Amino acid sequence: MSWFSHYFCFLFFLLLTSIACFAEDEVNLLVIVVDVNPIWWGQQAQREPEFTLSKCLDGVMVMGNSHMALTRTNKLAVIASHCQDSHFLYPSKSLGGGGGAAEDTSSSRDGKYELLAVANSAIAEEIRNVPSKTEVRGNSTDTLLAGSLAKALCCILTIYSVYPELISCLGQVIKAAEDCALQYMNFMNVIFAAQKQNILIDACVLDSDSGLLQQACDITGGLYLKIPQKLALAQYLLWVFLPDSEQRSQLVLPPPAHVDYRAACFCHRNLIEIGYVCSVCLSIFCNFSPICTTCETAFKIQLPQMVKPKKKKLKMPA
Amino acid sequence: MASLSEEVLLVVKKVRQRKQDGTLYLMAERIAWGPEGKDRFTVSHPYSDIRCQKISPDGKAKVQLQLVLHTGESTTFHFANESTALKDREAAKELLQQLLPKFKKKANKELEEKNRMLQEDPVLFQLYKDLVVSQVISAEEFWANRLGGLNNSEPAPCSNKQEVGISGAFLADIRPQTDGCNGLRYNLTTDIIESIFRTYPAVKQKYSENVPHSLTEKEFWTRFFQSHYFHRDRINTGTQDIFSECAKQDEKGLMSLVNKGVKNPLVDLLSLEDKTLDEGYGIKQALPSTSNTNKTVKESSNAAIIKRFNHHSAMVLAAGSRKNEVPADQASETSSTDGNSRDSDFFQPPVKKVCVFTVKLQEAIEYEDLQRESKQKTVALNLKKSDRYAHGPVPLQSQKYTTSQDIINAVNCIQHEMAHYKPNLTQVMSSTAASSAIAALSPGGVLMQGGAQQAINQMVPSDIQGELKHLYVAAGELLRHFWSCFPVNTSFLEDKLTGHLEEMLQTAYSKFHIWQTRRMMRKT
Repeated sequence: MSWFSHYFCFLFFLLLTSIACFAEDEVNLLVIVVDVNPIWWGQQAQREPEFTLSKCLDGVMVMGNSHMALTRTNKLAVIASHCQDSHFLYPSKSLGGGGGAAEDTSSSRDGKYELLAVANSAIAEEIRNVPSKTEVRGNSTDTLLAGSLAKALCCILTIYSVYPELISCLGQVIKAAEDCALQYMNFMNVIFAAQKQNILIDACVLDSDSGLLQQACDITGGLYLKIPQKLALAQYLLWVFLPDSEQRSQLVLPPPAHVDYRAACFCHRNLIEIGYVCSVCLSIFCNFSPICTTCETAFKIQLPQMVKPKKKKLKMPA
Repeated sequence: MASLSEEVLLVVKKVRQRKQDGTLYLMAERIAWGPEGKDRFTVSHPYSDIRCQKISPDGKAKVQLQLVLHTGESTTFHFANESTALKDREAAKELLQQLLPKFKKKANKELEEKNRMLQEDPVLFQLYKDLVVSQVISAEEFWANRLGGLNNSEPAPCSNKQEVGISGAFLADIRPQTDGCNGLRYNLTTDIIESIFRTYPAVKQKYSENVPHSLTEKEFWTRFFQSHYFHRDRINTGTQDIFSECAKQDEKGLMSLVNKGVKNPLVDLLSLEDKTLDEGYGIKQALPSTSNTNKTVKESSNAAIIKRFNHHSAMVLAAGSRKNEVPADQASETSSTDGNSRDSDFFQPPVKKVCVFTVKLQEAIEYEDLQRESKQKTVALNLKKSDRYAHGPVPLQSQKYTTSQDIINAVNCIQHEMAHYKPNLTQVMSSTAASSAIAALSPGGVLMQGGAQQAINQMVPSDIQGELKHLYVAAGELLRHFWSCFPVNTSFLEDKLTGHLEEMLQTAYSKFHIWQTRRMMRKT
């Protein structure tokens, strides 16, 4: 029962602090970015039928609900990251209008906290539309993660302006498919922007390790976790990612992973530790070449000086 | 040893060194000795290395010449030619006497320069102390980069010091004092002497010619002051003075200066004239002839004084603008503002004059600070393959190949799934899955490698755990009551919420707070 005491200590503490926080207006914002790459999820459905996109979304919803239940002033946003674009699942544009009927039925049924009910139904409504709205083209099968993160950042900044007492923001990424190398520049820009705005980026990776997300978590101070068991996604989310940054310092959490910060050479894309950098255009090479192929600057290497042999002519005196 | 393409100044045969016969060679930059019969030198010293030379006293049987180097070593040459030993040695000694000072200056100059640099820059001095004195690097390496400019034989003084000019009144400063019995004392300082030499190179020449051969310094200066050259009225030109030549040279110089005129095309001195109204107030009258033949004595002496003053001022200005030249090179001086120059070029090509004019005009009308700042010339960066930067450090791996059929299947599957999506939040996961996840996340679990290996409950004593458990269960019960009041349909529930329950929750909170402080105080 080792986990038990740890778990309920924490929950107890959280409950009491949340009760005590009625008077305070701390606003915590959680933005969840879910990777809904249909190709990966479709193949996953064939690989492991028990854990499909629906299960994943259920887990995400549980996480969102828990976050909103912690404090009345907590805010939530959910973004689905697709192949070509990203959609806001919650808060969605159709909140006011179409989903009214579904709302009433769910809220009156089980006495649920209204905000949670609204959120759940909005998410469910939106995600139904996402695959039908977008079409997948063969050449772009990668998740648009950088774009979704950028949208998340914009959302956070909008909330900043509305709620000036925003204390902490968490951007959480649930990633399924592999990294896309083409999004590198945008991704790094987003990460640095997040760092400047003190936004933590957490990553929960389902399938393969992502170097970019490891860097993101390392730079912004968030947590990176690769889940061994996809079925227990909700448990991992609640355990590791639900507490905000202040509370994380009090908890025993998985240690940070070692991040590979090596650069890749421009010629072969190998990760190198020592290389040659052109002083004009800063491109990295693994071998020396006299002309930089990016900016066409010629470099001279100083050859060792040729030592002239000393001649000896003796002028004999007359 | 360098190649012997240097000039050989003197060769002395039959000179012994270390009991070996050989020949002594004195060359342009070094002195060398080679043993007889061999064609290479065993001893070779550049003149700058030699500190001084010594000769054996005249009475001794052996005629020797010793060279002492800066490093303290000494080399002795024994002139063994029976008949001409003394002569040889004297010849060698004299040549060395002439050559050594030249190179000595160079060596000294280097040392002086080094000392000066060390004194001026305390940082450099500290660096020198740290590195060279403690023998981290050798002195040569230290000075290798810093003495670049010294090795050119520039005798000019360092350019960051301004030269001191000559006071125009230096001659007047030598105020004579009466010596008691009808004599005059003139106090000459080295500064005044230097000013005299700089202003009147003719005097300097006379000085070097006569002193110390025919006249002592004192005599020279006495004669100088006695001569009418010095005095205002230089009327006598026929005396046997050594300075009479100087007077003639001065006159010549003044004439050449006047003829040269002023080169500035913007200034036309000749158009300036005293246009006075003569006596008679402009009424034309026969002007008295101003030919030189009727000049009164007074007029001529006035003219002489004025000429003297002009010449003196011209010389002072010339000396101030003239740089310090090597004494031997006086003949090659071509400073055109010097009144004593031998050749004054009257002829100036007209083209040159026009260019000079435009240059002068531009200088007069333009100010450098008012010009627009010239932007630094930059070179544009020319990138051929800029998409390389966009690629991240993700190595090019073989992507998993998905056929288009796979893609279509996957997309359809998802679309189908999402169309029928209904959240089922009560069946999110099984408890086995959850507990295995928790086990993995606990200290010692799969994911916790490298972190703290001890669970908290092992660190917290059991009585605290028990108390906390009780508190937790009690709070949970209260919360259950709280949530069961929702939705608030009746006024009873409303009252319960606003009055009763809130009180209970506040009590629970304060109870917890008390427990917490008690526990913390116990710890500390």
